Amino acid sequence: MARCASSPQRRLARAALGFVALGIVLYLALYAAAERLLRERADANPFHRVAVAERQVDWVILGSSHAMPLGFGGFESQMERDTGLEILNLGTQGAGPLYNRLVLEHLLRAHDVRNVLYVADGFAFQSRTWNEERVAEPKLLARTPWDPALARALARAVLHDGVSWRGWLDYASGFSKINNRERFAPDRWEAATQFERAWRPSASAVRSRIEYLYPEGPQPQAQARYLAQLEQLLRTAAAAGARVTIVKLPLPRSYRQALPDEAAFDAALQRTALLAGDSWRDLSRSFDAPEFFFDSDHLNRRGVTRLYDEHLRLLLTDRAAAGREGT
Amino acid sequence: MLFTSLDFFLLLPFALAVFALLPARHRPAWLLLASWAFYGWNQPRQLLWLAGVTLLVFACGAMLERVAAPRWRASWLAFGVGLLVACLAGFKYGAPDARWAAPAGFSFYVFSGVSYLVDAWRRALPPAAGAAATALYLAWFPKILAGPIERAPALLPRLRAALRPTPQQLVLGTQLLAWGLVKKVVIADNLAPLVDRTFGMVAYASPVELLAAVYLFSFQIYCDFSGYTDIAIGVSLLFGLELMENFRRPYLARSVAEFWSERWHISLARWFRDYLYIPLGGSRAGRLRTYCNVMLVFVASGLWHAGLGYGGLGATFLVWGALNGGYRWAGLATQPLWARAAARLPRLAASRGWQLLRIVFTFHLIALAWVFFRARSVHDGWLLLQRIGAAASDLPTLVLRYPWTGAHATALALIVLLLAVEWFDERRPIFERLRAAPAWLRWSAGYATLAMLLVLGRWQAREFIYMQF
Repeated sequence: MARCASSPQRRLARAALGFVALGIVLYLALYAAAERLLRERADANPFHRVAVAERQVDWVILGSSHAMPLGFGGFESQMERDTGLEILNLGTQGAGPLYNRLVLEHLLRAHDVRNVLYVADGFAFQSRTWNEERVAEPKLLARTPWDPALARALARAVLHDGVSWRGWLDYASGFSKINNRERFAPDRWEAATQFERAWRPSASAVRSRIEYLYPEGPQPQAQARYLAQLEQLLRTAAAAGARVTIVKLPLPRSYRQALPDEAAFDAALQRTALLAGDSWRDLSRSFDAPEFFFDSDHLNRRGVTRLYDEHLRLLLTDRAAAGREGT
Repeated sequence: MLFTSLDFFLLLPFALAVFALLPARHRPAWLLLASWAFYGWNQPRQLLWLAGVTLLVFACGAMLERVAAPRWRASWLAFGVGLLVACLAGFKYGAPDARWAAPAGFSFYVFSGVSYLVDAWRRALPPAAGAAATALYLAWFPKILAGPIERAPALLPRLRAALRPTPQQLVLGTQLLAWGLVKKVVIADNLAPLVDRTFGMVAYASPVELLAAVYLFSFQIYCDFSGYTDIAIGVSLLFGLELMENFRRPYLARSVAEFWSERWHISLARWFRDYLYIPLGGSRAGRLRTYCNVMLVFVASGLWHAGLGYGGLGATFLVWGALNGGYRWAGLATQPLWARAAARLPRLAASRGWQLLRIVFTFHLIALAWVFFRARSVHDGWLLLQRIGAAASDLPTLVLRYPWTGAHATALALIVLLLAVEWFDERRPIFERLRAAPAWLRWSAGYATLAMLLVLGRWQAREFIYMQF
């Protein structure tokens, strides 16, 4: 009798196991399809760019969205042709030092890097939003190709850097890739299409941009924590024989003046850079007319060209030459 | 904790596993602990309110059981119900800002508490319900945030019986859970951005966009709310507990009366019927009183919604309630006419075409009322209707010329899928059909559902609309 009574449960358990087993196979097929689609469409994601980069890299550009215009509209290739150097722009929207450190560590696993240009922004050192949360951000993970080494790096970031385990689980399971609503859209920051535009200054645009970038306002404790992340990045680069130059790029005056506690951040950043023996260039006041920007804080083509002509060309070639002599 | 969150999907199997391992007599205690954990997850302060309501309901319920004198019993009832309603009204209308908003699901467990006390006063509760059973009745986690609003006389005996889910309950529970998720994260949450954008700029959106938003919101709110209910019923079944049906294919209703009394948010409709409409005299106190009572119920429902809605304290919900009350008045007034017409033309009245026409007409009345439910202000709602009305003659051309996007196409496909499922379900329950279907078809349906959830679902923890009420 007992056997008869339990048989429907057993049948159900067997059927459930079979359903789950086949479901796992189908899930893996879906995952493989999503990964393939991702690789076909990948472009701006820094981990994808690392995967397809040349083995020898003269300059790696790191930072948040302010670093990205240096690669817009074919400008990266233009700089490469002009200087004869291999340049790799890994700037990512809203990426703070923690995210950039993970990108650099991943790059250094299989690439020789001579120089790093770190484009620093005060906002990226003030909030978890641009660091721990950015690493676990589904939108970025949806574009990040699968790599077991990166999965391990993310697991370490969960254990040591306060990144959410959800981010690791998302990456390992590929959920965001399968669930990516923009799976067929190009992997590009839509602002790239405005690269040729000139900004019409707007106080409200600046205000809302600052509110967005500093969701919790200036956070001295957070700043110290993320400066420590930057120090770790500098140590990682030094251990791999790469020299780091930290720069602040030009900003429109209205935006620069609205930045909270920027002088204190500059001083702290400079101390960190000098402690690590790396160089520091504050170009934020080089030029600030609106015609050099396509929005409240990003350089347009004219701005990038002027920056390159006046500062970057010399910096890139001099440092690269010094690096070669050094080796 | 939201049903659509990762936390939920990690904790639910744990709760089920412990439940399955425990002897039957300890299972209710575990369910109570699990319910508190689910409810207090991330927001433990909410538990204080739940504990307060539970203590109040249990204490007043116990007094109503013990005290024999009718005057004292009425006093205890008035005290308990008055305090519950005052708390609810305080949150709804007295909260100075969002920080003082009611804890999630407060309305729903207050409604359950009121029903418990009234049933205790009517001596309809099972004897010696016990504090733990009362606490579990109020806190049962699948239903705590948005119902169904179960009645104590029906639920308490089920909670105290040995909870042993049958294989059929497990299968049906899983199916309901999956279908509820499809309704919420695939259908409702894919419609939501289109609706939000249009209702956020009523003055600037094109008439076609406005018209589309009216239809889309009708399906969004249905899928959002009934999706929650399906999940709640499905999860309860996994623990061997059956909850009442709360939605029965409402957009297939043939009249507004049928929509509200038999198909939409059935547990709330019955709550209002039993604790407001009938005590007020219902339909047995004369024609005028019937009309007043009907309107009073709808206005009360509007008032309940009005506390914190899309635009904060709003008259929009009152307009929505009054509009539905007006529909019911029109229905009551024309009922004899329709009955006479149906008697004279029985074949026409029974024909499919006529039934379909009634369904379509009822849906449009309901959709029109939803405009005020969703609009940020009465002015916005009125403006939306005016703008659609002004462009009415050009709408066919405008619809053809409108630059429809992929999001619109997805929304349309999802609505067609929903209506197809509902249509088949109306004729014979879809899960019954599945049970009788061959294994390959059942499994294919299961995988298709999961694939939809994975590929099309919006999982970014968008709250259920009714949680705000």
